[in-house]
Amino acid sequence: MIVELSVALSVGAGLFAVGLYGALSQTNLVMIMMGIELILAAALVNLVAFWRYLHPDVISGQMFVLIVMTVMAVEMAVGFGIAVARFRSRGSVEMEEARELKG
Amino acid sequence: MTMLALTLLAPMLAALLVFASRRLPEILALAGVALGLLGATAQLVAVAGGKTLLIILPFLPDMPIRFEATPLTATLSLVVATVAAFVVLYAAGYMRQDPQRVRFFGTLLLFVTAMQGLVLSGDWITLLATWELIGFASYLLIGFWHHRPGVAAAATRAFLYTRSADLGLYIGAFLLIGVAGTSEISATLATTGTPALIAGLLLLVAAMGKSAQVPLQDWLQRAMAGPTPVSALLHSATLVAAGAILLIRVAPMLPGGALLAIGAVGGITAVITGLMALAEKDLKRLLAASTSSQYGLMLVAVGAGVPFAALLHLIAHAAIKSSLFLGAGVFQHDRNSTGMAALAGAGRARPGIFAGFALSALALAGIPPLAGFFSKDAVIAAALASPAALWLAPLALAATVLTGAYMGRVLRVLWVGNKGEKPKPVPYMAAGLGVLVGLAAVLALAFTPLDRFLEADMAEAGLLAPALGLLAAVSGLALGWLFTPARLLGPVLARAQRGFAVFGGMDGLMARPALVIAEACERLEKWLYELVLGVGRINLLLGWLARKTDTKGIDGSIFGLVRQTIATGTRARKLQSGFIHREMALAVIGMAVVAALLLAAPLYS
Repeated sequence: MIVELSVALSVGAGLFAVGLYGALSQTNLVMIMMGIELILAAALVNLVAFWRYLHPDVISGQMFVLIVMTVMAVEMAVGFGIAVARFRSRGSVEMEEARELKG
Repeated sequence: MTMLALTLLAPMLAALLVFASRRLPEILALAGVALGLLGATAQLVAVAGGKTLLIILPFLPDMPIRFEATPLTATLSLVVATVAAFVVLYAAGYMRQDPQRVRFFGTLLLFVTAMQGLVLSGDWITLLATWELIGFASYLLIGFWHHRPGVAAAATRAFLYTRSADLGLYIGAFLLIGVAGTSEISATLATTGTPALIAGLLLLVAAMGKSAQVPLQDWLQRAMAGPTPVSALLHSATLVAAGAILLIRVAPMLPGGALLAIGAVGGITAVITGLMALAEKDLKRLLAASTSSQYGLMLVAVGAGVPFAALLHLIAHAAIKSSLFLGAGVFQHDRNSTGMAALAGAGRARPGIFAGFALSALALAGIPPLAGFFSKDAVIAAALASPAALWLAPLALAATVLTGAYMGRVLRVLWVGNKGEKPKPVPYMAAGLGVLVGLAAVLALAFTPLDRFLEADMAEAGLLAPALGLLAAVSGLALGWLFTPARLLGPVLARAQRGFAVFGGMDGLMARPALVIAEACERLEKWLYELVLGVGRINLLLGWLARKTDTKGIDGSIFGLVRQTIATGTRARKLQSGFIHREMALAVIGMAVVAALLLAAPLYS
């Protein structure tokens, strides 16, 4: 079955909208990070779709996706590290309460 | 050579012994001067035998210390030794009661040593050194009774007057050394032309200071503050004589111009200080003024070109003036004063001493056959024969009249008056006085041999000079005996008593120029001070500028940059809310703006 490029891009856009909403509406650090993951995933979907439909013979698109996935994993590790540390010290990961970085 | 050394060393060793042992100063001093006299006599005998005694000691390169006994210097040395010996004999009696005898005799011997050194010196360096030594020793001796009021000032004055004039000797001597290339006096006398004239005038200045010539005559009268034996020594053969001796020694070198100046200074001094002597109210000060006057006559003789006449008068005067002072000292002892009023009749109380004093006074006035007659005769003859006879001879004759007048006055004052009680005998003083008076009387016998000995060319005496001299002397004595100074001098009296303070006297001639120089120096000093201060101020300003540049400029810009950075950071921190949702919302808005711009690209590109 042939799926149209526009369909893939629509899926990506939907994924992005869900992620954006999640990142902006949630107060829990874990939930915000999940939103951000969704945004990145949307970007990856778009990237793969463009590669598959416009330049299927160039492998650099695939490589780029793999690198972004690695970066996502590292980012998640750092983010959850911060969340665990914060939970240990403050007993909460609610970002409404985290105002220490105010200038 | 042994004799020469003995002449010099005997008084010096005696002085050292006196100071080292601090006892028996009279005996040691007498032994020293007696040995010195012996040495000087033997030395003269040796020189008369045709030898020239010479001692050369190594000193500066090519300028050794020379002592030489030529006919002239040996004669002078004998004069010094003789006067010194009998003055010391007299002083042994005069200073009998003084608790400071050690200091007195020690200094006196030093003085005699220095004078012998000066007379016998054969090079300018030695002459300068001994010249300084007699100046220093005379300062010590004049100021001997320094605890009495005014004595220290008199000593300082004598020292400063002679010192200022010594500048002439220094420059003159160094000029001669520079021109001749050697410091030997006899060699430098070959100098001719302008250097000789300049050096002659400079040496005249030195002689004017030491021999108390107008206008530097003032210190000599004040130097009477010292003990009488000191005055006797100072006035006859030593300190004051040094000036005349210097001129006599350099006379062969002097050109016409210098002779003219010497004659003028001598003639004027002879008359002016003669007037001062006549007007004087104090016996010792009178004798002091008379000393200046007689040295003026010697300068006239030198100026007339006959230094031998000056030498004769110097020798005669040495004996005469020392005996006069010694006599005056006896009278001073009796009356405890040297004021003419206090001394009235003092001579009648001591006929023996008075006879000696009177004999010397007549000799000084110039009565034959005493020594003064012949020496003054020689001076007058020289003045008459000189090219400048027109004014030198009247000055010399006037001085002779004045000499007679003040001596006549002194004799009258000492003889006429209340004689008081009988005084105690004074053997030592009488002995010293007696010998010197004897010399003053018979010295003339030695003049003719001396003339041959020195091979001097005297001015042809003739009959005119002795006749004029005798006339002047007798008329002067008569005037002095018969009339008071007030009647003789009339309106001049008051001025003469003030020492003819022309142009403000010494104050005008020395003190004021010195003050002007001092003021100029002070101004220069102040100016230099201001200059140094100014340099300092400029330096301070530079330092201040450097500090300002450092603090305001460099530090300021660095700290300003830091402050601005901090301020910018502070302002930038305000953007940070620390509220993660807002940051994210802002990011989304940013992305939306970017997307909008990209989407709108076809509209504006």
